[in-house]
Amino acid sequence: MSAEAKPTEVVMPFSRKKFAKKYNRSPLTLRISSTFLGLLFIVAIFQPLFYRVDPFLADLGLRLQSPSLGGAWLGTDGLGQDVFSRVIAGFRWSLGIASVGTILGGFIGITLGISAAWNRNRVRIVLSRIIDIGISFPYLIIAVTIVSVVGRGFWALGLTLGLVCWPTIARVVYAETLTLREREYVTAARLFGVTAFRSIFTHILPALRPTLQVIAAFVFADLLIAESGLSFLGLGAPLGTPTWGNMLNESRTYLATAPWMMLGPAVAIVLTIFTANLLGEGLNAREQARSTRVSQ
Amino acid sequence: MLNRRGKALWSRIIQLLILLWSVSTVLFLLLRLSGDPALILAGEGATPEIIEAIRIANGFDKPLITQYFVFIRDVINLDFGNSLVNSQPALSFVLQYLPSTLKLTFLAIVFNTIVAIPAGIWLGAKPNQRKRRVLSTIVSVAQGTPSYVIGLVLIQIFAVWLGWLPSIANTGPGAWILPTATLAFALAPNLIRVLAANVEDTTRQDYYRTAKANGANPTELLIKHSLPNALLSATSLLGAQFAFLLSGALITEFIFAWPGLGLILVQSITNLDFPTVQATVFVVACLVFFVNLVMDQVFRLADPRLRKSQL
Repeated sequence: MSAEAKPTEVVMPFSRKKFAKKYNRSPLTLRISSTFLGLLFIVAIFQPLFYRVDPFLADLGLRLQSPSLGGAWLGTDGLGQDVFSRVIAGFRWSLGIASVGTILGGFIGITLGISAAWNRNRVRIVLSRIIDIGISFPYLIIAVTIVSVVGRGFWALGLTLGLVCWPTIARVVYAETLTLREREYVTAARLFGVTAFRSIFTHILPALRPTLQVIAAFVFADLLIAESGLSFLGLGAPLGTPTWGNMLNESRTYLATAPWMMLGPAVAIVLTIFTANLLGEGLNAREQARSTRVSQ
Repeated sequence: MLNRRGKALWSRIIQLLILLWSVSTVLFLLLRLSGDPALILAGEGATPEIIEAIRIANGFDKPLITQYFVFIRDVINLDFGNSLVNSQPALSFVLQYLPSTLKLTFLAIVFNTIVAIPAGIWLGAKPNQRKRRVLSTIVSVAQGTPSYVIGLVLIQIFAVWLGWLPSIANTGPGAWILPTATLAFALAPNLIRVLAANVEDTTRQDYYRTAKANGANPTELLIKHSLPNALLSATSLLGAQFAFLLSGALITEFIFAWPGLGLILVQSITNLDFPTVQATVFVVACLVFFVNLVMDQVFRLADPRLRKSQL
C-alpha cells in the first residue's frame, strides 16, 4: 500500500494568487458563466442601485407604455409600474430562493446519500428505495401541494423547494460514495481505527466536492425554473410581488395589447438559467480534464 | 424465471404502497400542522357555528391519532371525501380529467419522438461539423428554457400575431398543437442530447468497428449498428422523464386552460379544496408508478441484456 492515505484534495486557505491561477486555467465556459453569475448576484444584492424608478411605484397615467429609450426601457405594465425595475427586483427572489433551496436540498441529499452508501445492511435498502421513490415523483406537484399549506413567503418557498429537490443530489452522492468507500485510503483508514464519522468528513466529503459543485449548479438552475413556475401558476410569491413568474403571469392578460411585458422577465429567466447550466457544464468539463490529467 | 419476475413485481407493488402511504401521510400532517383544518376547509368569512359544524362533521375534534387512522382507512377505501367546490366525490371528479392529461402527454411524446430522433441522430453521426455545432448550441439554450416561456412565446406568435391556432382549451385537433408543442419542447432538447451522445458512443464500440472494417456503408452502419442501441437508451430516458413530463403538464395545462389533472390541481389549491388536492396527488402517484412499471417490462423485452438482470 503506497502513500495513498492522504485525502485527494487538500483545502487551502484562500489566496488571491492561487485563485487567479485557478481561474485562468479553467475552461472558457466556466470563466464566463461564473463571472456572469457573480454579476447577477451583485445585482440581486445591491438592487436598489440598479432601479430606474421604484418597482412598486404605480402610475395609471403611464400604464401599458411601450418600451422607449427616453422613458421606460422595457415598457410599463397594467398598473403603470416600470418593467425594467421589476425585472431587477425579481433577481432577489429568484436567486435567493434558488440558493436557499439548493443549500437545504444539498444538505438533505448529501446526508441521505452518504448514509445509504455507508451502511451495508437494511439501512441501505430502505434509504435507496426512498431515494428511488423520491426521484420518480414529479417534484413540481409536491412543491405546489406543500406551498398551498405552508404559505408563500420567501423562506417558505425556499424551504419547500429544498424539500423537493434532494433526490437527484442524493442519488449522485449515493453512487459516488459507493465507489469512494472502497478506495484504498478509506479502507486503510478504517483498518487504522478511524471512525466512520471522521472518515466521512476527511475522506468522502472532500472527494465528493467536484461532483457536488456540478450537481449543485444544475439543481440551482432547476430551482430557478421551479420558483418562477410556482409564481407563474399563482402559487408562488404573493400577488403583486415583483418576481419573474408573477410578471409573466400578469403579462398573459395583455398578450395582444402589450407583448413587451413578457419580454423582460422571459429574457431574465432564460439568461439566468442558461448561465447556471453553463456553470454546471464548465465545472463538469474542468473535472473531466483533471481526471484525464490524473490518469495519464 | 417467472418466479424472479413475480418477485420483482411484488417489490414494485410494495414500493407503490410505501409511496402512497407516505404521500398521504405527508398531506395529512401538512394540513393538520398548518393550523386549524376546519378553518381552512370552511374558507374565508365563515361564522364560528359553521366552523364548529365542519369540525365535528370531519372529526377534527377527536385526538390526532384517531383522525389519522380514520384518514388512512378512508384512503384504503379510496374515499377522499367530497370536493368542497362542487360536492362530488373527489376521486371520481379527478378521474374525469385523467384521459385529457394522458392525451396531452401522449401527443407530446409522439411529437417529441418525431422531432428529437432525427435531430439527435443527425447531431450524433458527425458531432464536430460546424453547422451541427450551431444546432447543438441552440439545443443547450433550449434545454434551459422553461416551458411557460415557450408556451407564452408560441401563443404570442401563432395565436396573437398570425392568428392561425386557438390558444385555449381542448376544443379540437387545432387546439392540440400549441399545448403539445409546448410540452414536447420541455423534453426534446434533453432527448436530442442523450441520443446524440449515444449515437456518438456507438461509433466507438468494437462491433461498430468490425462492421466498418467488413465494408458496411455509412447508412447501413448507422441504421443497423448505431441506431438500435442508441434508441434503446433514449427511450429509457423517456420513461424516466415521465415524472418530469407531468410537472411540465401542470404548467402547460395552466397556460392553455387545458382541462386536465394539472389544471384541477392548481384550481383546487387556489380554492383550498383539500380533498381534491389529495385525490389528484394520489392519482398522479399511481400514474407515475404504472408508467414506470410498464416501461420496465418493455425494456426487458426490447433489450436482451436486461432479461437476465433482476428488476
